[in-house]
Amino acid sequence: MPRKTKETNEIIKQAKSSNTADVAKKESPKTTAKNTKSVAKKSTAKKDTTSKSKPATKKTSTTKSVAKKTSATSKTVATKKTTTKKTTSKTTATKTASKKSTTTKKKADTKSTTKKVLTKKSTAKKQKVDIVEYYDLPYRYNQTVVKVLAQTPNNLFIYWDISDADRENYKKQYGENFFETTKPVLIIHNTTLNYSFEIDINDFANSWYLHVNDSKCDYKIELGRRPIAENPKINTNYIYISTSNEIESPNDHVLFNKEQKMVYFRNTKTGVQVEKPISANLSFIRNMGKIYDNYDIKEFYKVLYKNEDIEEFYDLSNPSSGNPSSGSLSSKFK
Amino acid sequence: MQEKKGYVSFVLHAHLPFIHHPESDDYLEESWLYEAISETYIPLLTNFQKLVDEGVNFRITMSMTPPLLSMLDNKLLQKKYINYLNQLIELSEKEIKRTAGDERLNQLAHYYFDRYSNDLHLFKDVYKCNLIEAFKHFQDIGVLEIITCGATHGYFPILYVNEKTVKAQIAVGVQTYERYFGRKPRGIWLPECGYVPEADKYLKEFGIDYIITETHGILYADPTPLYGTFAPIVSPEGVIAFGRDIESSRQVWSSINGYPGDFNYREFYRDIGYDADYDYIKPYIAHNGVRVHTGIKYYRITGKTEFKDYYNIQWAKDSAEKQAGHFLDCRTAQIGNLVQYTENPPIVLCPYDAELYGHWWYEGPYWLYILFKKIYYDDCNFELITPSEYIDKYPNMQVCSPCRSSWGANGYSEVWLNPTNDYVHRHLHVAGDRMCELAHLYPNAEGLKKEALNQCARELLLAQSSDWLFIITNGTMVDYAKKRIKDHIGRFTKLYYQIKDDEIDEEFLEDIGEKDCVFADIDYMIYY
Repeated sequence: MPRKTKETNEIIKQAKSSNTADVAKKESPKTTAKNTKSVAKKSTAKKDTTSKSKPATKKTSTTKSVAKKTSATSKTVATKKTTTKKTTSKTTATKTASKKSTTTKKKADTKSTTKKVLTKKSTAKKQKVDIVEYYDLPYRYNQTVVKVLAQTPNNLFIYWDISDADRENYKKQYGENFFETTKPVLIIHNTTLNYSFEIDINDFANSWYLHVNDSKCDYKIELGRRPIAENPKINTNYIYISTSNEIESPNDHVLFNKEQKMVYFRNTKTGVQVEKPISANLSFIRNMGKIYDNYDIKEFYKVLYKNEDIEEFYDLSNPSSGNPSSGSLSSKFK
Repeated sequence: MQEKKGYVSFVLHAHLPFIHHPESDDYLEESWLYEAISETYIPLLTNFQKLVDEGVNFRITMSMTPPLLSMLDNKLLQKKYINYLNQLIELSEKEIKRTAGDERLNQLAHYYFDRYSNDLHLFKDVYKCNLIEAFKHFQDIGVLEIITCGATHGYFPILYVNEKTVKAQIAVGVQTYERYFGRKPRGIWLPECGYVPEADKYLKEFGIDYIITETHGILYADPTPLYGTFAPIVSPEGVIAFGRDIESSRQVWSSINGYPGDFNYREFYRDIGYDADYDYIKPYIAHNGVRVHTGIKYYRITGKTEFKDYYNIQWAKDSAEKQAGHFLDCRTAQIGNLVQYTENPPIVLCPYDAELYGHWWYEGPYWLYILFKKIYYDDCNFELITPSEYIDKYPNMQVCSPCRSSWGANGYSEVWLNPTNDYVHRHLHVAGDRMCELAHLYPNAEGLKKEALNQCARELLLAQSSDWLFIITNGTMVDYAKKRIKDHIGRFTKLYYQIKDDEIDEEFLEDIGEKDCVFADIDYMIYY
């Protein structure tokens, strides 16, 4: 069976059973009072356990509470609930057993605990039990991955991880102390200008901001390790781990290619494209008597944008996202 | 009368993140919608109507994002908006009594009472709670062009490491538009103007003609566009890009001398939610007793001082009229200068957040109304136009690849990718990959599995909303934004495992389906 978060599963069942209990309530007002109490108790118990936060404790107490619920509600809820309960206990048991032996992938994702407790709206009239959810983001996904994003034309953001399975493989191949006798590095490949450079990172980080000199270039990042201490099993000075996606860093300046003499114009209705010499399209250059080969597009832009500093024209902070409570815009006008 | 030599195109980007909490009345964030309806959307609609009634021929473009459309169409939120107005009407009635001894304040209390009463009348009796239809009307009569946006305002330059997730943002954006407006959109507002050339093929696939980019999206294009932002360019894949005009933007946005900073304009931060006696105002602030904006504000900006003078409606109108004249003169001069350098008549594109008009800049809708009247009646050298009309008139344009860019601070991705929010991206990427995995594992599913897969797609899209990242960077309402990311990734992940284990919890699915009830027609196969 594919992996699933142990607690998630338990909690889902728990919610299911309690919701079922709520159905029972509707049928029998007497039971309602009882169930409400037990739900309330359970919520508190669960919260306490959660805050203490040891996985093992959590598991036990969840199982207990499921069991309690089963007994508390089984009288009033007929077949459906009983079935659910049985499944729950079984699944829980299986999970408990399997957890120990499964790969670390499971462990990692288990951290993405989702806890679901039940609360009941206090109004006597309202029968519906709301599912109150609480989620945490997984600490990691246990995949070997390197990803790069461009934050600015000269800053890249890189994040990475090595799966536990791959870690084990490296240890098998290079010895138990593989990670202690090597250091992590990132090799930055600029595939446009065809150069690479390397930076040291450390095993406490899982992401990095990196300055690059060249905007408007393609980059990909390689994660690897280099030996830093004696290790008889390593007879190379570099061990490759993984490579990132490739990205292009944004452009950050007005481009001017003096070699370029022609531009293309397309009729967007017909799709017909024509080639035109640049000079023919810059009437002002003709008017000013400039020689085509010496023209500078920046000079032209200075004519077009005579009131603006085109070197810094994007330096306007926009209040993006239209979030009325962000306060970003009004504060500008103070 | 001067000859018309060029064009000005106003584009207002109307967006709010999807905020819908049927489970509780305690989410303050829901009021963003109500504030925007009262201060921006209804004022825009009423001013459009006034212009039409007065025979003014005008053009304006608005992007209405799918989350905003979904909220405007939501019955519960419509009901809550009516409650919100009733509360404000009740409060302004009390204010009329409370301020009886001060004539100037009392006039303003009356003003708010009339204004909110009128909003209630318009919303219920005139628009029949359907603001989408109200905006659609102006599109149908040809004065407004509505364009779409990414499904949940997901920021393409971060999502595109998995291109299918960008494709889905575009596909659902187009689908939602068609559902509400009965036709395909010609343009799209790229969320945060975040442009990546990798999106072009999907924009074309879904029939998008044009996009709006930040100024340097055009000026740093490759090769350099000969006419700067004053003519659109077309990408090699066939997507037409219009760039924001810097001069007109500065006049409105500038923190030093931008129009909204006029001393006669209403001061946003002095609200009776904060100023009034606590026991008096308590029924009208947050349920937990935290003071919040109520919408009743009595002061004008006055100056760089803490001692604020009362707001004077006539003075504020005078300022708006003066500034509309200034804007008109500036554009006339700008176009007069530009026309000698461009092959086609130049276009000056003025994109703004719609919520700037009315919510932040209270007098903004009135300014727009006066400006449009002036453009129509006064002697100026330009006309208003929509991007679509410009493309149809002047289809010849230079072929260039726009520059990767956004309209966030400093022009690239820093707002949505920085040390405060960078932890989010790996979760968005993994969830995107997992969604594609699910689509490939269970193509063309039926029944409960299909519902679960569609809900997974909704959760993923909601997690991708750029608003959460923006709010975290901005430092306000951070807990809420973080919670939303956790909730959607959490719900997605839980469903992902349930689907793979063939153990879909129907009650859970139903519960989150009620909360996250966007995109009724979504088909997860867009991730296939």
